[in-house]
Amino acid sequence: MTELPRGSGAKATPAVALNGVTKIFPVPFQRRSVVAVRDLNLEVPRGEIYGLLGPNGSGKSTTLKIILGLATPTHGEARIFGRESASVASRESVGFLPESPYFYKFLTGEETLRFYGKLCGLRGANLRNRVDKILAVVGLTSARDRRLAGYSKGMLQRIGLAQAIIQEPALLVLDEPTAGVDPAGAREIRDLILALKERGITVLLSSHLLGQVQEICDRVGILANGVLVREGALRDLLGVENQTQFVVEGASPELLDEIETVARRSGARVLERGSPRTSLEQLFLETTEDSEQKRDG
Amino acid sequence: MDNGSHRLFSLGRLAAIAGNTFTGLTRLKIFYVLLLFALLLIGSSVFMAQMTFQQEFQVLKDIGLGAMSLFTSLLAIIATARLLPRDIEDRTAYTVLAKPVSRFEYLSGKLLGVLALLGLSLVAMSALFFLVLALREQSVLSETSRQMSAAPAEQLAEALRLVRASAFNPNLFSGVAVIYAKGCLLAALTLFVSTFATSTIFTTIVMAFVYFIGHLQPIAREYWLQSSAAGWFTKTFLALVALLFPDLQAFNLADDVVAGNAVPAAFLSKTLALGVFYTGFYLALAWAAFFRKEL
Repeated sequence: MTELPRGSGAKATPAVALNGVTKIFPVPFQRRSVVAVRDLNLEVPRGEIYGLLGPNGSGKSTTLKIILGLATPTHGEARIFGRESASVASRESVGFLPESPYFYKFLTGEETLRFYGKLCGLRGANLRNRVDKILAVVGLTSARDRRLAGYSKGMLQRIGLAQAIIQEPALLVLDEPTAGVDPAGAREIRDLILALKERGITVLLSSHLLGQVQEICDRVGILANGVLVREGALRDLLGVENQTQFVVEGASPELLDEIETVARRSGARVLERGSPRTSLEQLFLETTEDSEQKRDG
Repeated sequence: MDNGSHRLFSLGRLAAIAGNTFTGLTRLKIFYVLLLFALLLIGSSVFMAQMTFQQEFQVLKDIGLGAMSLFTSLLAIIATARLLPRDIEDRTAYTVLAKPVSRFEYLSGKLLGVLALLGLSLVAMSALFFLVLALREQSVLSETSRQMSAAPAEQLAEALRLVRASAFNPNLFSGVAVIYAKGCLLAALTLFVSTFATSTIFTTIVMAFVYFIGHLQPIAREYWLQSSAAGWFTKTFLALVALLFPDLQAFNLADDVVAGNAVPAAFLSKTLALGVFYTGFYLALAWAAFFRKEL
């Protein structure tokens, strides 16, 4: 695990802190300019999964680039574990997976990880062990000697995730990590992200797949036209006051009627009653898994 | 990993990027097509001349060094022009620069990879060139010995010495070294152009112009500076052109080498130093342009 910067108040230092960040892009040959991000204040606490949401063009990718030092804010400052994002040293503790990355197609999966590992200062046996371990984590051990040109979209996303965590960073930044990946691949990536969180890694991800974000994120921020319009813990944002939901299994219609009667008698209103529905994603996964099992069996 | 003492420049990171660039370029088909074409040209030069042995060796060296110079320059431009635009378009630059890699390390690693490729291809071309030269030398030597079998030993020895002197001289190595220096500076200049270019095609076209201006620059500069009509504006403009455009004519030692003229060590050192200076200068310009580039 990457050793984080220590010092006074190191424990309180958030993984990511943006203070008054504004990014303005001048339009070439025109007098006008485009404001991609406006006065953004944001903190990602350590150890959490933070989802940055917003429609296309809302400033998500620009925000991530500023955090990673790939773009410079016009105003304000960005810090990673207390270090300025512009400094190369701040990236010792960061892993990044861009949206739809291509990587070097002429390299094999193993060569790709070796390359990125070397950039992070890994060498010799340490590098070899790390590559073996990460390939196993992302499920690409059997494809380690294949060139990336022959990888599927899902495999490319997984090797992308593998290069991002090659040095076991303390912060993982993911831009649309499941874009273009089928539901089974998306679930694998989601499980990987949750497993990384279990190991204490902070994850900042951007997405517009709200269902997936809802499943894994602790906190979310919603960007619209470069402005952070809502931000907070997911349960606080989604919880509806004065309403309670409970799911009962094996209850007879008589029992359900009785529960409803008791609720009404005490002055409460029953708003909805019915069988809970499975998600379309769950249905898709179960169906395709059944089909594959029948074909193999 | 992070102990708070990040090294600003790491040879390990530089070697990783250079090695990766080199691997990528050697896995491109265009590299082999170009190299094969150059090797064929050098190899076939042996059949191109049926003259006196002096003329034959001269033509052979002319074609050999000319082909090496042209293909090294071409390779330097084509190989370098695609590196940055492709990395940025494919977003692979993001993944590399999101690691603890400085932009200077990234650029110099890319350049170093190309220089390694140029070195390798020049070694291959030189090996074939010297082999062709040695084979023709042997052939002419045995033919001369056969024809002059009745001549006195001193006369034969003199004839053989003449053949050897016409075929091979150490200046050939100087010629190859200068070709490499020219390739290095062209690669660095292409890298600089590609930092602000939007595509590989644009970079290649700009470099084609630069290549021709670089060869014509000394003539134009001399003409204008000698002209009494040249005002301060013209002189300033030409000074800028002289600084920004490399004097590629200074790297044309082939004529002297082919003619068998001695290339003084001081002149060779000066030319190589000029190549190193230009390469470093253009790398520094590339870094200045790329340092704050928004990706």
